[in-house]
Amino acid sequence: MNARIHRTEFAWAIGLLLITPTQLWAQNSWREPTVYRVAEADWNGAVLANGQPDVQGHWSNTVGNHNNMVDPQGNFPYDDNNEPQAPRPNRENRAPSRLVAPADGEFPFQPWARALQQEFAAHLFNAFEPQYVEPLARCAPGGPTKSLMWHGFEIRQDANHVLFLFDSGTRVIHLDDKPVLHGNISLWNGDSRGHWEGNTLVVTVANHNAKSRFGRTGEFVSENATLEERFIFESSGNRFLYQGTYTDPTVLTAPITFEIPVRRITAESELDGWNNITFPVNFADSGRAPEIEAYERTCAENNANHGAESAVAAH
Amino acid sequence: MTTLHSHGAISTPSRFGVLAIGLALLITTGAKADASDIPRTAEGRPDFSGIWQTLSAADSGLEPHGARKDAPPAPGIVTGGLIPYQDWALEKRNQNFAQRASADPALQCFTPGTPRGIYYPEPFQILQRPTDLTLLFQHSYRARTIHTNGSVHPEGGIGFWFGDSRASWEGDTLVVDVVDFNDQTWLDSAGNFHGNNLHVVERWSFIDENTLQYEATLEDPDVYTRPWDISVILHRHREPGFQLIEHTCYTLEYDDYYPYPSQESQ
Repeated sequence: MNARIHRTEFAWAIGLLLITPTQLWAQNSWREPTVYRVAEADWNGAVLANGQPDVQGHWSNTVGNHNNMVDPQGNFPYDDNNEPQAPRPNRENRAPSRLVAPADGEFPFQPWARALQQEFAAHLFNAFEPQYVEPLARCAPGGPTKSLMWHGFEIRQDANHVLFLFDSGTRVIHLDDKPVLHGNISLWNGDSRGHWEGNTLVVTVANHNAKSRFGRTGEFVSENATLEERFIFESSGNRFLYQGTYTDPTVLTAPITFEIPVRRITAESELDGWNNITFPVNFADSGRAPEIEAYERTCAENNANHGAESAVAAH
Repeated sequence: MTTLHSHGAISTPSRFGVLAIGLALLITTGAKADASDIPRTAEGRPDFSGIWQTLSAADSGLEPHGARKDAPPAPGIVTGGLIPYQDWALEKRNQNFAQRASADPALQCFTPGTPRGIYYPEPFQILQRPTDLTLLFQHSYRARTIHTNGSVHPEGGIGFWFGDSRASWEGDTLVVDVVDFNDQTWLDSAGNFHGNNLHVVERWSFIDENTLQYEATLEDPDVYTRPWDISVILHRHREPGFQLIEHTCYTLEYDDYYPYPSQESQ
């Protein structure tokens, strides 16, 4: 199958960075209202040469984007004109909160942190100060958790690394015994060490710079946060469930645990204009089975002033 | 690894002569490794996995240049010395050079692209699979893919910052054909540049298990009068525990605004 790529299509792809939450939701035709469960177990699927689970490929979360953390298929608390808007009705028909701990799905912020989160949400569409601009809109990496619930992404592996290629940022999980980075170094995606337990990739993340926001609703943790992750892969190779637990007494009154269900994207997957921006591999041998590959992942280079100086300068 | 000793006993005067010639070749072009002495994948291909970096000052100027306030002197890595610019392009290069302190795209943390990323003065890591090589550059923390899966360039053309890379093996040499560039990257910090019809052919091979020979031919009929070549040696980082560190320098201009203002007052 031959790929036909034109500059206008690439401009469209980059334009995905710019469209509004309302536009995004309208395109989410195959998002699921429930969280697909994958249990921790032995791995019976494809393996790498060293026996590790082979989970490489293109992936996309099945619920929605980073628009609203506690009601991920609901409204943003403010409309495009920055007017408060009520939650959509029939909450029970939509996907649950991104948080499974605490049990109520709400962020257990200390009062000062709650106030800052709400201040951020109230200014997302009226970002007259630079700190109100969502960092991801400026092409900053989304952080280890948020990056899994934005655009789709790709996983590549070798014996000592699991590599995540995001549309905004790159993350390497080290599987060897490499010492952790010194605490003087803080990073948008943190520094990750992991190992496999059956079908589960267990990861500890340190060196957070705490500058990213979990959602456009402004939730955050501090540089003192610890993060323990479990990527639980189904042996079919088609699904995984992410669980990430943050502990941060600086900002939170209790640990929080995210759950993000993710499914594989293949050449047969319906493209909804939001998950992986891929195109068919152009094989010289036309008899080969179709495969997909991703566009080059750049962001700051193509982002002009989106989300940055333009919004601030207007005031 | 090829060693000078493998040439056998020679008389003292001529031995020095051969040594001198051999060392000169090793320094300027590198000597190819013996096939048995390089790391290999399970499929038997040379395994370029690892973290690599040049010791050259190529990024300060591909052409030979003396010392300047923003760069050390360096012999350059262009075969024959100078880039064969068309007249208008040489004038533009000189304008770029004059404006380099503000106009170099790498200063905005835009990806250095191809081939500049290879000799940019920061490490890059190669993760190699049978179907591709991923080159992760510490600067800007961007990844380039070199496809080795039998695919050819996409149709229609597109302006990629890294170009589109499709490769094949010639013995133990990886030969990479790169097209579909945009015209936004520079070739070094001295203002050398290309257009969007740039065509790069790279040749990657081992000198020894910890040293790579990187050669590239650059062709752009809109900018140069003929194809021209560069050659640079890459060294493996062997420091214990060495790793790339996320360097998203494009965030530095707004880092201080996050995670929230007046953090110290909390």
